Amino acid sequence: MPSVGAPQRSRAERLLAPAAQRRLRHAARLSALAAALWLPQAAALAWGIAGWAEAAPLARTLWMALIFALLGMLRGWGERHAARLAYRAADETLHVRRQALLDHGALRFGGTSSAALAALLTEKLATLGPWITRYRPAMARARLLPLLYMLAILPISWAAALVLLVAGPLIPVFMALVGMAAQEASRKQMVEVGAMNTLLIDRIAALPDLLLLNAAEASRAEFATRAEALRERTMAVLRVAFLSSTVLELFSALGVAMVAVYVGFSLLGEITLGTWGLFGPGLTLFQGLFLLLLAPDFFQPLRDLAAAWHDKAAAEAVAEEVAAAEVSLGAPVLGQGRRVPPLMGPASILLQGVALERGGRRLVLPDVAVAPGGSLALRGPSGSGKSTLLEVIAGLLAPETGEVLVAGQRLESDTADAWRARIAYVPQQVHVPEVTLREFLSGEPEGAVPREALRRARAERIVAALPEGLETVLGESGAGVSGGEARRLLLVRALIRGADVILADEPTADLDAATGAALVEVLAALASEGRTVVVASHDPALCAAMGRVIDLQADSC
Amino acid sequence: MLRLWQALRLLWRAHPLAMWRGALLAVLVLLMGAALLGLSGWFITATGMAGLAGVGIAFDVFRPSAGVRGLALGRAAARYGERLLTHDATLRALAALRVTLLDRLARFPVTELRRLRGASALTRITADVDALDGVVLRLALPVAAALLTHLVAFFGLWALTSHAIAISVAAGYLLGGGVVLWRVARATLGHSARAEDASQDLRRRAIGLFRGRREAILQGTMPRWRAGLDAAEEEARTSMDHLDRIDTGAGQALSAVVTLIAAGVFALAGWLVAQTELSPALAAIGVFVALALAETLLPLRRGMAEIGRMRDAAERVLADPPARAPVRVAAPAFSPEAGDRILELRHLSLARPGRSRLLLHDLSLGLRRGETLALRGASGLGKSTLLDAIAGLEPVTAGEILIIGQPLAAWPESGLRDLVTLVPQRSALVSGTVLENLALAQPGLTDCEAMAALEAVQLAQVVHARGGLRSPLGEGGAGLSGGQARRLVLARALLRRPKLLLLDEPTEGLDATMARQVIAGVREFLKDAAIVTASHRAAELATADQVIDLKRYIPES
Repeated sequence: MPSVGAPQRSRAERLLAPAAQRRLRHAARLSALAAALWLPQAAALAWGIAGWAEAAPLARTLWMALIFALLGMLRGWGERHAARLAYRAADETLHVRRQALLDHGALRFGGTSSAALAALLTEKLATLGPWITRYRPAMARARLLPLLYMLAILPISWAAALVLLVAGPLIPVFMALVGMAAQEASRKQMVEVGAMNTLLIDRIAALPDLLLLNAAEASRAEFATRAEALRERTMAVLRVAFLSSTVLELFSALGVAMVAVYVGFSLLGEITLGTWGLFGPGLTLFQGLFLLLLAPDFFQPLRDLAAAWHDKAAAEAVAEEVAAAEVSLGAPVLGQGRRVPPLMGPASILLQGVALERGGRRLVLPDVAVAPGGSLALRGPSGSGKSTLLEVIAGLLAPETGEVLVAGQRLESDTADAWRARIAYVPQQVHVPEVTLREFLSGEPEGAVPREALRRARAERIVAALPEGLETVLGESGAGVSGGEARRLLLVRALIRGADVILADEPTADLDAATGAALVEVLAALASEGRTVVVASHDPALCAAMGRVIDLQADSC
Repeated sequence: MLRLWQALRLLWRAHPLAMWRGALLAVLVLLMGAALLGLSGWFITATGMAGLAGVGIAFDVFRPSAGVRGLALGRAAARYGERLLTHDATLRALAALRVTLLDRLARFPVTELRRLRGASALTRITADVDALDGVVLRLALPVAAALLTHLVAFFGLWALTSHAIAISVAAGYLLGGGVVLWRVARATLGHSARAEDASQDLRRRAIGLFRGRREAILQGTMPRWRAGLDAAEEEARTSMDHLDRIDTGAGQALSAVVTLIAAGVFALAGWLVAQTELSPALAAIGVFVALALAETLLPLRRGMAEIGRMRDAAERVLADPPARAPVRVAAPAFSPEAGDRILELRHLSLARPGRSRLLLHDLSLGLRRGETLALRGASGLGKSTLLDAIAGLEPVTAGEILIIGQPLAAWPESGLRDLVTLVPQRSALVSGTVLENLALAQPGLTDCEAMAALEAVQLAQVVHARGGLRSPLGEGGAGLSGGQARRLVLARALLRRPKLLLLDEPTEGLDATMARQVIAGVREFLKDAAIVTASHRAAELATADQVIDLKRYIPES
């Protein structure tokens, strides 16, 4: 349960934008003040009803009803305003965090996987929302209201105050006892409910195979059995988890009941203990009704806080992930990834004394010099730094020491984007975004794709085979092209855009002999017409087609 | 809305008894809460008046105070029971919902299901199923409980206080609350769909940006991707903000409804007391019960605000599968003249799905039991499409496919699946043990048979080293290497003991020696079956009885 003293600034707290923090303080204050309006509302009700017993004129009731209604409206307005402020604080924080994560993550590689980053950016960051909109205002109310109620109740009756005081703080004590088990239990419950979805996704993904195996029926029965087992386990967990909230309710209900019984006996004159004796021997009816109306609300802030308790844990967990992601994302790429006019000068490449940290070890790359129009094959076992070298040339990795000169200029943040405007890079795993083939190749939704380029890269058949030709949407949800096809399409793109530097990473790996040979031919043709070509490969045919070969050692530490 | 109703019936029917008992306890909780406050109010006002009148000694304090305590305890107990029962019922409903979803999906064609495997399609399905989880817990149960509670409270108030109070309370809550909630539901209908779409769009773009960041940096399109993502975020924020405005507005309106009802009943009760038509103590019951019944209204807000999301989710999840292909005639008899000819293609022409341009033209071949046919050809020539067509998943453009002398269309679906087993290039395993994965192919599989199939694909030792047949696999078969997973998929297909086995790239990811052993093992295991492989690897080509190069069947263009 909460430590009421000033808490240390937690990780989640540090994620709050300054403006959001101000707004949130506002929201918390307003929410507590609105809730505190119940005090005068209860007094108005109690005063009106007490008048009935004294045969007071009807006007007293009507005035009190009016005051009650007006205060109630004000309270509703305040609550809404507080909720909106808190929502805006949450929205602002999420926005700032998302943008920060994007600024940080979009221009870096390594560390956290892209799927994990996307999940962090969308649903995980969103769990900060309930912490801001529910937990924080609940915390403010739990700090202020019980105290305020005590101040109102204590002058009327110390006995009633004592009952509430004992019942109130006992809630945290019991929560701590039952709650420790319950917290663990409810965490497990989240895991188990998640497990049901995981099971479902697993089965949907396998459904085509299950149908081919005639096993849909069997799989369905098996799914039902496992879901049933999951339900039994979850219920065992819930039986404990709900105990904690039941304890909370039990204490608040008993608190109310004890106050009611005490007030009743006191009004009858059977108990004279428990008041200060300022207004006669026992309680007055007004005081009694007032106490009764306050008692349930005394517990409300604590119950709200308990209900929002796991929001804080969730927010802290996310804050930790954000911090971890920011550390593990690796070094930024050179440049901004903008489209700028190409770098001027003949397409030469020169690497001197380049070394960098890669996967926890230091990699020393050989010196490389490629003249404009020259071609080079990098050969060596996996892990020797072939791909790294290509990435350094493309400005995707920044060397720690040494120098990279491209087209006669230093490759750095200012020149990287312009240099890349001249490069066609063919990676091992081609990422095909969800755009039409036309846009993928030409860079524009309506761009032209000359037949000649397709023919020269031996890619006509690939386009012909797609359901809608150049207008086919590629990518995850669209039509697929194989790895070899995608590499050829990248070469088409290089031809269309007039790239004069071609970097290819294992372009013939996993291809059948005919397709591989065709690719080698295309690359050789590109080199022979004056483009600068650098490939990483251990395919002898490809290496032979290049002007020069550099062997990289496996152990270049 | 029809689909939402369907979803509700589906969920409720999973365990109607538990649902009804849960609903009953929910009513009990609400009634006991109202009774507790009403009785306390009556008790205090009555004792106050008795005290004023000096007849305190004659007042029966025992029964009311016991009632107050009993209600307090009973309410906490009923609440615990209600939570357990409704959660149990909901978990059953969730399992039922997921089984129904699997059932429906199983009626979609295999080719369409393959498209569902992408991460975003799957997250969409889980998001939908999660939205439907709230239909019972947040919508149906609270609405039913609120209505029943008001019914009972109406008669209770009528009997105890006056018909005017009973009617005011019932009319106020039903009309006031009803109108507010109705308006919330209406207002959020379109917006929640928009918000859902926007957040899905944001997630899709986030995955796209992080996954494609290398490509985007190289192409200089990072700012464009970023701008698209920022626009999606803006859209998501705007629609979420709109929803929050509606939601907090509803909160304020509901709080106003409760305040006005309480104030109105307060004034009315005061007037009745002034007219001496009602005793003050009984009139107090009316005021306190009117206040306590707020608990019937406030929990409905969230469910009503989510009604649009639930409706859209229901529409997607419960969408009708496409109409089946015309019903096939009963299983044809094995025609004697076919002899041992398992597969025959006659002048077959094929186009890619949805395209008119032919992929293959005039292909004829025949395959007997025990024979192996290897299809070769570069990627993109239509090997996989041909296997899909033989398995009856894709239509043919011209010509005929005969299985054991009968046209493909004459075979009923399940009969065909018993004869023909296709192992596609991308085959999925499911979470569960190795044995469970294998048993999908053959229910009631013995350990001995399972081991024999594993031996055939050289996987017995691997499984043994992992801890035997009952060692668990993760989601999608996680825990096995690519080559191991491929072999387990093959073993699963072998256990179907088909007459015709179609293998698409069966030895992908295996080294040459292993590939030869696996192909030999498959042939040995299914001595009588006809096997068709699509591959460009030596292992498949070397051992085949016939090799057909698809290049020869490319239509002249």
